[in-house]
Amino acid sequence: MNPYILTILLFAMGLGTTITFASSHWLLAWMGLEINTLAILPLMCQSHHPRAVEATIKYFLTQATAAAMLLFASITNAWITGQWNLEFMSYSLPTTLVTVALALKIGLAPLHAWMPEVLQGLDLTTGLILSTWQKLAPFCLLLQINPSNTSLLLILGLASTLVGGWGGLNQNQLRKILAYSSIAHLGWMILVLQFFPSLTLLTLLMYFVMTFSLFITFKVNNSTTINSLSMSWSKAPIISSMVPFILLSLGGLPPLSGFMPKWLILQELTKQSLAPLATLAALSALLSLYFYLRISYAMTLTMSPNILSNALPWRLPSNQHTLPLAITTSLTICLLPLTPAIITLLTL
Amino acid sequence: MLKILIPSMFMLLTTWTSPFKQLWSTILMYSFLVATLSLTWLAMPTDTGWFYINNYMAYDPLSSPLLVLTCWLLPLMIIASQNHLAEEPENRQRTYISLLISLQIFLILAFSATEMIMFYVMFEATLIPTLIIITRWGNQMERLNAGTYFLFYTLAGSLPLLVALLIYHSSMGSLSYLSLTSLPLTCSNLYANKLWWMACLLAFLVKMPLYGVHLWLPKAHVEAPIAGSMVLAAVLLKLGGYGMMRIMIILDPLTKELSYPFIILALWGVIMTGSICLRQTDLKSLIAYSSVSHMGLVAAGILIQTPWGFTGALILMIAHGLTSSALFCLANTNYERTHSRTIILARGLQMVLPLMATWWFLASLANLALPPLPNLMGEIMIITSLFNWSFYTLILTGLGTLITASYSLYMFLLTQRGPIPHHLILLEPSHTREHLLLALHLLPLLLLIAKPELVWGWTA
Repeated sequence: MNPYILTILLFAMGLGTTITFASSHWLLAWMGLEINTLAILPLMCQSHHPRAVEATIKYFLTQATAAAMLLFASITNAWITGQWNLEFMSYSLPTTLVTVALALKIGLAPLHAWMPEVLQGLDLTTGLILSTWQKLAPFCLLLQINPSNTSLLLILGLASTLVGGWGGLNQNQLRKILAYSSIAHLGWMILVLQFFPSLTLLTLLMYFVMTFSLFITFKVNNSTTINSLSMSWSKAPIISSMVPFILLSLGGLPPLSGFMPKWLILQELTKQSLAPLATLAALSALLSLYFYLRISYAMTLTMSPNILSNALPWRLPSNQHTLPLAITTSLTICLLPLTPAIITLLTL
Repeated sequence: MLKILIPSMFMLLTTWTSPFKQLWSTILMYSFLVATLSLTWLAMPTDTGWFYINNYMAYDPLSSPLLVLTCWLLPLMIIASQNHLAEEPENRQRTYISLLISLQIFLILAFSATEMIMFYVMFEATLIPTLIIITRWGNQMERLNAGTYFLFYTLAGSLPLLVALLIYHSSMGSLSYLSLTSLPLTCSNLYANKLWWMACLLAFLVKMPLYGVHLWLPKAHVEAPIAGSMVLAAVLLKLGGYGMMRIMIILDPLTKELSYPFIILALWGVIMTGSICLRQTDLKSLIAYSSVSHMGLVAAGILIQTPWGFTGALILMIAHGLTSSALFCLANTNYERTHSRTIILARGLQMVLPLMATWWFLASLANLALPPLPNLMGEIMIITSLFNWSFYTLILTGLGTLITASYSLYMFLLTQRGPIPHHLILLEPSHTREHLLLALHLLPLLLLIAKPELVWGWTA
């Protein structure tokens, strides 16, 4: 893409999210979300492939619906309470409607159906932006409204973890797997939103780090299916050997950093006397772990037969930017002992 | 404690920076040094009470035998793995050794943890290196399935444990071992308390394993390479037993009624898995089911909650660790020569490898709990405490002892005695390395005859 266009689009995405971050007026927040959506649309269909265009249109329709619902809810709130402030939503109808609209925006179950198909149509970099950056603005809004409906958030959360787990079990396309993984992690974030919002932020940031590592690993291998990952042990042996740890961290296994959000969320849920919910959510994480394990089997723990020239390629210096990958991989594996520091940092 | 832990951590560095020609010798010497230093943990001036090192690590008469077993096992694993890793590229050898060392570090941290959550995190952390060892270096296609069963059975049991520990923490305020004795959960007769009791124990019962949830064990033990089988049989199963012993303190008084079905299931498992052993064609599978059988007895001993029960359980855990690991090493000597685990393929070995037959004999005798070996001491103490609880358990345990003797003898006679099959035309003579390995397994067992107080725990 023309670098000027790319610059404008990326800046516009940043602008949209920043406007939403900075706003306390509903109209401004909505405007920021719309700018964000519109800016990413050309990025999504830049390859002009029919699959990419289809993904772009699906994304546009769902996000537009969500934004319209959001606008409707904020206007209703303004009509009832007479003010447009984000934090002072005190009636249940607008609050619930805002929650559902934002759930559609980020792709929580049962409003998740667009997510796998949209991610499948994108290339890995744009998919990364969709999974990480695009979640920031809606979460900012979710963290600021006071959700009045306890059970709605819990149902959204539990359904998302279960759907994210079950949906990914039958996939061999990596982008769909990443979509279902995103749905599952978003479920965990929503579960604890009303009890301890800092943990939502913590989970979100940990998820960003872990999924960044995974997306960039797949990009380095230029692979979009599980089968094509099996050749990576000969081309990038060190990346291949780190991938099981990234995947198990996504699955939430101690002592990797992915355990940190799950542990803290379970602790908060049990403090709120929601122990059966906590157990169900923890067991649903096992479903996601199954397909993460499958990817790591294909990539690292089995060595597929290779002809000799494939098994001993020239390992030339890579042109890809692997420094961010190195940083996020280290964070994905080693961050658990810093849990007290991180909680203190985020509870300020 | 840190004298052992920090050198173990730096062993990882040594693995990656040693010159390749000296890698195995260096690591072997280093790990033997650590193992010898760890023997100091056995010297305890008082019989009860904790030896505090710092706020986070301590050991007491219950955990020190297991810690010493862990440290002792690393050099043995290194000796055992030398042969089958010899043809691998250099970096993969270093990776394998690093996995074994990291497993030891996690195990030391688990057994010396003073707080239940630390124990839990390290308990789960041991899963990852074991999974990688089984699925990456196992020899058959079924190893992937074995790794999946291993990971998911253990995790499905331990996630409810995490929630149960967090419940206890939120209501009692602390999960430190030091305060557990004074903070039993106030028990009302709610159904939820029974679920909490179950959640606390399920992880350890799956790990031990209890008979109904034992399916992961034959798969994992059989598909793992020799070091994986050794560490699984010797130490990882004992993590389950150790955790159960620690958590029993807070589970009173619910355990008096709720443990009935599990004791019976454990004893039934002793008989069932023993009977399965009599019909096995796969040597490693036989030893794996024998492990389930012995650990069923351990589980019953712990659930009985008497001093003799606990002591018997601990002694049996240590003795079984050494015995089972020795049997896996013996099975591996067969496997390295014939590349098959089928028993009938390599029979009558006493004619061909007479010195190895000595070790087979000693290991089989240890497995069937011959006096005066500590295996017998453990079994008798558990059987006695069960008999004290209910006379009828003697039927089950007596039958179990009989079946254990049968299959141990069966295994010995089938592999060692009888005519040599005609197709065996080239079997390498026994390596000195293999003799050393088995001597190092069985010598501690024989020495424990003289001083079992070292592994009695704090109750006897």
